[in-house]
Amino acid sequence: MKKVSFRNDVLPLKNKLYRLALRITLTPEDAEDVVQETMMKVWSRRNQWDQIESMEAFCLTICRNLSLDKTRKMAGSEQSLETTEFETPDNSHSANPEERAIQQDRLRLVRQIIDSLPEKQRSVMQLRDFEGKSYKEIAVIMNISEEQVKVNIFRARQVVKQRFLESEDYGI
Amino acid sequence: MDYKYIEQLLERYFQCETTLKEEEILRSFFTQEDVPVWLTKYQTLFTYEAEKEELLDENFDERILTMIEQSEPVKARVVTLTQRLMPLFKAAAIVAIILTLGNAAQAPWDRGWDNPREEYAKFHQQQSDSVTIVGPVQAENTLTDSVSSVPTPEIPKY
Repeated sequence: MKKVSFRNDVLPLKNKLYRLALRITLTPEDAEDVVQETMMKVWSRRNQWDQIESMEAFCLTICRNLSLDKTRKMAGSEQSLETTEFETPDNSHSANPEERAIQQDRLRLVRQIIDSLPEKQRSVMQLRDFEGKSYKEIAVIMNISEEQVKVNIFRARQVVKQRFLESEDYGI
Repeated sequence: MDYKYIEQLLERYFQCETTLKEEEILRSFFTQEDVPVWLTKYQTLFTYEAEKEELLDENFDERILTMIEQSEPVKARVVTLTQRLMPLFKAAAIVAIILTLGNAAQAPWDRGWDNPREEYAKFHQQQSDSVTIVGPVQAENTLTDSVSSVPTPEIPKY
């Protein structure tokens, strides 16, 4: 019986967990390891499943904590800004190849800016802008107050806007 | 298209006062073709998350399920151990309850159990006070009573 619900919880969540882990660890391999470890940990606590209100929040919390552990283990604050894995599907509306290249550069720039933010700001941005979580949910997942969530999102958005627009001004 | 509304939303977005729905509106606005020139600079900021990166492959599920199956026997053993002890605890609890009830049930049968010395002292007093009223049979019983050999002139105050 338990395995059935694990199946229903593996499929929808694994990519969400992967994205969060990736946002924190900045390394695809580490992120995948984290997701695996998260799954195993969630499985090992299956006798608590009945008491859990939100399975998603539970998994995301574990995922984030494991990601943080992993980044601490890795040498200092080495950040892998490898963006070659992120070959995004081309959604730009212009057929012009030059335009498309510019578009890709812009996307890469935004990602780089976000990746360079402190972990808390990165995580709140990920949970808010990517996963569409409410401030309350984010507060639960990250074990911080709603006020702190708002502060972090505020800082993150300001920095991203500022740096992005600055780069744009210099022309791409 | 009312761009004033969008500009207002933008202001609030950077003040972190937008709701999820409002952010959704901003996103769908910026993904469309004809964004006014003075707003294009914000476009990427709202479209970048639409590009969901390459995700975990399909083998991932298989791998996780295999890993779980391998860990299953260990988990099963731990569970049966506790389960085996449970019935014993329950049995012990039931026996304890029965014994307690049994003890409690005996109390009403033996009124003198609470203050035996007081009771006997009272009884003796009765004898000395009204020896003429009490029959000879009872008087004899008092003498042959083994407890009367125990000196209890005073009642100790507990």
